[in-house]
Amino acid sequence: MADWKLLKKLSEARGISGQEGEVRDLILEEIRPYAESVELSPLGSIIARRKGKRRAPKTLMISAHMDEVGMTVTQITEEGLLKFATVGGIDRRILPGKSVTVGNGVHGVVGVKPIHLLKKGEAEKSVPVEELYLDIGARSREQAEEAVLPGDAVTFDSVFQAENGTVMGRALDDRAGCAVLIGMMKTEPEYDTVFAFVVQEEVGLNGAKTAAFAVRPDAAIVVEATTAADVPGVDREKQVCRLGGGPVISFMDRRTVYDREYYRLAFRAAEEAGVKCQAKQAVAGGNDAGAIHVSRGGVRTIAVSLPCRYLHSAVGVIAQEDFLAAPKLIARLAEMIEEESESNNKC
Amino acid sequence: MYQKLTEMLFRLCGAAGTPGDEEAVRAAAEREFAPYAETGTDALGNLTAKMGDPGAKEHILVEAHLDQIGLIVTQVDENGFLRVDRCGGVDRRVMPGTAVTVFGEKPLCGVVCCTPPHLTGGKEEEVPEVAEMAVDIGCNAETAKKLVQPGDRITFRTEPKKLLGTRISSPGLDNRASVAVMVRCAQMLAGEKLNCRVTFLCSTREEVGGQGAVTGAYLADPTRAVSVDVGFGRQPGVKPEQSGELGGGPMIGFAPVLDRSMSERLVRIAEREKIPFRRDVMGGDTGTNSDAIAVTRAGVPTALISVAERYMHTPAEVADLRDMEETAKLIAAYLREAV
Repeated sequence: MADWKLLKKLSEARGISGQEGEVRDLILEEIRPYAESVELSPLGSIIARRKGKRRAPKTLMISAHMDEVGMTVTQITEEGLLKFATVGGIDRRILPGKSVTVGNGVHGVVGVKPIHLLKKGEAEKSVPVEELYLDIGARSREQAEEAVLPGDAVTFDSVFQAENGTVMGRALDDRAGCAVLIGMMKTEPEYDTVFAFVVQEEVGLNGAKTAAFAVRPDAAIVVEATTAADVPGVDREKQVCRLGGGPVISFMDRRTVYDREYYRLAFRAAEEAGVKCQAKQAVAGGNDAGAIHVSRGGVRTIAVSLPCRYLHSAVGVIAQEDFLAAPKLIARLAEMIEEESESNNKC
Repeated sequence: MYQKLTEMLFRLCGAAGTPGDEEAVRAAAEREFAPYAETGTDALGNLTAKMGDPGAKEHILVEAHLDQIGLIVTQVDENGFLRVDRCGGVDRRVMPGTAVTVFGEKPLCGVVCCTPPHLTGGKEEEVPEVAEMAVDIGCNAETAKKLVQPGDRITFRTEPKKLLGTRISSPGLDNRASVAVMVRCAQMLAGEKLNCRVTFLCSTREEVGGQGAVTGAYLADPTRAVSVDVGFGRQPGVKPEQSGELGGGPMIGFAPVLDRSMSERLVRIAEREKIPFRRDVMGGDTGTNSDAIAVTRAGVPTALISVAERYMHTPAEVADLRDMEETAKLIAAYLREAV
């Protein structure tokens, strides 16, 4: 059975891009007993080396990102309300009426004009971000300033539940990926492996770019969460991937054309590991692979993602079986990547 | 500040009660009134709590509605998603991606579905009607159909919480804030000898038409009535003349259907007791149960007092505890001198 308690802790930890400290501390505590070495990059990513049964012919880096989408306070108004900017590609339609936590644990809500007072045409339209603000209950600018400052992080308050074959929670993009990596570090891999927990994916892949430079890998597996559009109102051919269909393997997205051979290997790995997997049936989105595969002289890279509904909102949904299948698939894929290079060396 | 009031209010907010399904919140409200008043219920599920002199000529009805907005399940679809419709005036703009509790076989966690932005075909601006939305409870169809039936109710899954100072936020503050005002009023009057008869009425179904108040006021047959509801709090985009500042005290209603002399009397009491207040003037209907109560039987002189609230009908409703306490004081002072 999976460690839902750990995933819950990871999901509830607050860490918008650039302010991943709480998530990082949690991960460090979990992985230290299993890591041969742990270093922190100058931007705050964790680079952890895990000893395997054998020395790896190739340096393989498996990465997941620690940050989540959210908001940051930009300004405090005369009335004590907070203006904000979004951090990462938040879906603005989900903002009005949400509960949030600001800075050091201050409760707030995203305010919106009451439905009774809307003008004709307003009730059917999502609220433009520039009209939204956060209300922390302050009666004045002075009172607000005692509690928060511009630059403070704003995260959604959310729910966590692992029941009925699914997991619902906040920031499963990409804390679910972090949980997969942590789980993998707790069992001895076949080959020495580098695990990277990187910062700032949601604002431009900055953590992955710099971690890849530091690690200098020959190959990389990016463990992510990707949009599952298997919801009412979306035609089957537009659903990208589906919950319960297994981890998602990408051939191409907006950032990366993936290594063709690794793409094939991933499907074989799933078969050999006895788990389902599915192709990402759209050229959409992007992830840390975009920065990793062009690091230094180039890195052969593949992404294995968990299908996740409502990706950049306050609560996502993943399937437990996909989550449980991912480490099995990735472990086998890692071995195959190493063995591929071993056999290549023999030629 | 207001620690006990906060706890009582959060207990009331923590109990669900959508129109026509107010049982849980009625039980919660009954527990709050029971130490101070004689409680009862009726055919439409209203809760009454009676105090004062049963033989008095003057019988004052103090009313606040008990229900809150929510959703109602219309169907469980072939993929296990719940199709829903409004149960009261839910604001569709706050629905996508919102966590909810589904009151099925047991309370279930759900999320309102949201189409990924890249699949909206350029229609990202448009929020579909609630009847076009679905709720994801993370179950396959077989499990979902066992756990949830059409007619089951859904509320926002947001915990009540304290904001800075004396402000609080919770779904359903409309109208638990006013129910809490009535409980607080009963607490203030506990043990005092009143020269009137008082019936506190927690009415059902306000958010779908106010049927509970219609029948409840008929049964009570009062000589006068004071209705308590939330009113529009000052916030960006809302005009000053149609809203009250949070923390500015009770909003005393003036409207054609309301009894002018009662409104003025409340103003005089507020001035005398040094209770901050605001005149809340409406040119037509009040949009509250006072419209119906005033025309009960042969007519009942009625007043309306509102507690200022921001973001009405969203999961993010915000009110000020001070307004609730001051409103309770004003009503208690009014009841003390009613003969």
